[in-house]
Amino acid sequence: MEKKEDELQEVLRALPSDAVKDLLSHQVCARCILRVFGVQGRAYASPSLSSLFAQHSQTQLCRLCLGILQFTYSDDTKTLLQNDNLPLLIAQTVQRQAYHFHSFSLEVSIPPIVLDNDNSLRSYMKTKYGSQPWFQQNLHIGCISAKDALKFSLVYPLEDLLECKSSMGPFRIRLTFCHAKASKGDEKCSDGAESCKRRKIGMSKIVAGPVFGERPTSSSVENDSSDCCEFLLEKANEPCHLTYFCYRTPFYFGGRYLKYSRNVSQTRWIIDDERMGEASVEEIIGGNILQACQGDSFKFHAAGREDIDVRMLGPGRPFIVEVQNARHIPSELSVKDMEKTINSMEFSLNKLVKVKNLKLVGSDGWNLMREGEAEKQKQYAALVWISRPIKDEDFQCVSSLKDLKVLQRTPIRVLHRRSPLEREKIIHWMTMETIAGSSQYFLLHLCTQAGTYIKEFVHGDLGRTHPSIGSILGCRAEILQLDVTDIKMECFLT
Amino acid sequence: MTTINKDEIVDEANCSETKLHEEKKEDEEDEDLRKLLVPDVQNLPLTPPSAVESNFATYFAPDFMKPGHDQYVYRHANGLCVIGLAPSHVAFKDEGGITAVDFNVGKSDRSGMKVTGKRKKNAQHFESNTALCKISTKNDTYIVRCCVKGSLLEVNQQLIKQPELLNVSADREGYIAIIMPKPVDWLKVKASLVSLQEYKKLKEVS
Repeated sequence: MEKKEDELQEVLRALPSDAVKDLLSHQVCARCILRVFGVQGRAYASPSLSSLFAQHSQTQLCRLCLGILQFTYSDDTKTLLQNDNLPLLIAQTVQRQAYHFHSFSLEVSIPPIVLDNDNSLRSYMKTKYGSQPWFQQNLHIGCISAKDALKFSLVYPLEDLLECKSSMGPFRIRLTFCHAKASKGDEKCSDGAESCKRRKIGMSKIVAGPVFGERPTSSSVENDSSDCCEFLLEKANEPCHLTYFCYRTPFYFGGRYLKYSRNVSQTRWIIDDERMGEASVEEIIGGNILQACQGDSFKFHAAGREDIDVRMLGPGRPFIVEVQNARHIPSELSVKDMEKTINSMEFSLNKLVKVKNLKLVGSDGWNLMREGEAEKQKQYAALVWISRPIKDEDFQCVSSLKDLKVLQRTPIRVLHRRSPLEREKIIHWMTMETIAGSSQYFLLHLCTQAGTYIKEFVHGDLGRTHPSIGSILGCRAEILQLDVTDIKMECFLT
Repeated sequence: MTTINKDEIVDEANCSETKLHEEKKEDEEDEDLRKLLVPDVQNLPLTPPSAVESNFATYFAPDFMKPGHDQYVYRHANGLCVIGLAPSHVAFKDEGGITAVDFNVGKSDRSGMKVTGKRKKNAQHFESNTALCKISTKNDTYIVRCCVKGSLLEVNQQLIKQPELLNVSADREGYIAIIMPKPVDWLKVKASLVSLQEYKKLKEVS
């Protein structure tokens, strides 16, 4: 501790004292002084910082940072607070939320007017001290931004209080400072036209001085060319309003799901307050994962979808569950447990959904799933009935068709919500499989281009899908059941 | 496999063992899949319901505006209505059946309209008595009307080149048009339509 204090003393001694006194007399706070001179690091977090400038009263709001770096702000109840213990307050709020985390990342948002103030000050300093050797030396560092200074002043104590390091990661602490005077560019004043004109000339000509309410004097300063060294930042009357909270960026879980039921929809489906089907894949999988992570909400994304009465079998369909604001970080073991729990869920003794290869995925899991979703082929097994007995020639007739082009008008069953179009789709191959004990039923295995409507390919949709199984076999064909047997995609296979 | 062995031999053995194990697992999965796919023949109906029977509610408009002009309306759960000629339509009684279909009636050619987009832009709004098309037999022509007030989404253009579709399968590939009524308009027209049972009784059709 003492060593740090000595270091701080050294840093302060190295600052040009005349410039420091000048700034102090203009109500610039201790931390802002440090940052104007390019100081970085732990100095900002030193608890004795304010006392070292004790000879100058620091009770007034800093003109540069509007009190932000003085830990002076107003809260939701409009109370003015000054709290050197701001890091402690933040840490306590975080701890109350019961998040598990290994690191934290501090995000800070401050009103743009602070940056404007910095620019004004910079031109003033250049004018007054430009010729000084320390100014020349300092040029390559420049002024440290208020954001960075604020981070320096909070991160070190927070690391101690929260007992972990600050680094980029999913757990974030966000501080937002707002000010009524959002920025000097605000056209709130009655001099709208004049200040408007001034801004149009160019950003580099900052209108220093009061823009709001008071008449701008004709001696408004432009930088560089002026002889006047007037310190033109106006007095700060109001502190900023501070809100802070912590959150976790979304977790993504990827895997494949199978659907064994013909009464379970993929996503939650409710018409007129009534649920269609007895459950949904989305709720079964997402609900379980959400529970295990203690998150706020989840989003379910799948690579395509199947109807409620179509089973999803074989290797399964790739999906991603996105969990918002998880309180717990799932370990590999807990992810395996999630999978087990989902797979053991039963509704009236029937297994509805199965999950495979569930794991935490990064943002690239997303791309893996979306990539080529429209190109990937799908494989199906359909239970088909035809209006005449099956003939030997039928098998060969069907198997011989490779990459068959089919024209599908938008099926009537979806025509109410999709564009009326004619889409050309490809049936890559088909095989017929007999069913023992039946002369008019058979299993049709087929592999098709993504986006093909299988049911309509079988029954023809009143002739709007052509060719169809019926037209190929020269009779009426109906489909009783459909199952997806493979989704030829590479993601989430392990 | 014995536990004490030279490393290479163990590795090779493990390799082929895991490969065998994987293949066995794949075969098991395939077998499981097959079992799921094959249906229980006992439960299969001799003649299953058709796609129309399963997905639409069937109504009839007997003697629509003129005696003998019997039409059907298939209504899907999504609100869309398919319009067509009922089997007892007077046109079928003419010798040789229907020989031509012309959609150029009233003010426009119904086969020329282009409806686009999810909101069905450019769909014309028709009343239930608006003419859809003219059908011709050897000696006569008859007007087919919408029966349902709503937006005309589609007409069956196949009928222009293949009018015989009406003679062979007026209830499926020979449909005339697809109309999208507003819920309010459907309720109004539904009151004047009859069910399949009532229709059969009326027309003494089996």
